[in-house]
Amino acid sequence: MFASRLAPSLRALPRQASAVRMARRGYAEAADGKLQLSLVLPHQSLYSSAGVIQVNLPAATGDMGILANHVPSVEALRAGVVEVIEENGQAGKKWFVSSGFATVHGNNTLTINAVEAYQLDKFSPENIRSALADANRVLSSSAPESEKAEARIEVEVFEGLQAALNK
Amino acid sequence: MSSTWREFMSWNKYTQVASRALRQALTETDRVAAEKRAAIGVRYQLWENGQGGEQNYVVPPAKETTPGTPPV
Repeated sequence: MFASRLAPSLRALPRQASAVRMARRGYAEAADGKLQLSLVLPHQSLYSSAGVIQVNLPAATGDMGILANHVPSVEALRAGVVEVIEENGQAGKKWFVSSGFATVHGNNTLTINAVEAYQLDKFSPENIRSALADANRVLSSSAPESEKAEARIEVEVFEGLQAALNK
Repeated sequence: MSSTWREFMSWNKYTQVASRALRQALTETDRVAAEKRAAIGVRYQLWENGQGGEQNYVVPPAKETTPGTPPV
């Protein structure tokens, strides 16, 4: 553990010292220092190794913001808003994601795999309200626990959606 | 409370439930397109002696209702 923490800093010194080595860097270590984001759905690729400044994720363990050169991590996502800030000072682009995984690799790349992700203007508040009422009705009924667990998931999605739309 | 789904289903099922819920919240036009994309059909075929058997759907798709002839 101690040795592996020393090694990256030792490796960084010879890289900066040699201009020739800088020209042969991999695609992920772009000179602009941006995080390489790939945000993909089964049917569409929203970002494909695009350089961004920051990505905010709704992880199951809590909300987190990923910057360039983040430590490698794997996070399961819950239903929530993924916000991508492409340039400094720009407002972030938001997508509401149903579920998925976010993986930060060791080479400054972030891959987010999601099943469904839509921008916030694609949602209808009436549909959310009626679907939330249906899910709450299942919860307060005498349905088996497995159906109630599904209804609880749906309530979480709809309440997250309402919170995101009201912000 | 937030982890109760783990007692009943896998993460795959959890994701399918959450995605289905999200699709229900879309506006009409987007929802129709999303539902088309989301439909998953699985067919299987048993092979014996190098011959394929009959292809069967795991879940038979609902028959398309043909529109009746419009009144003249």
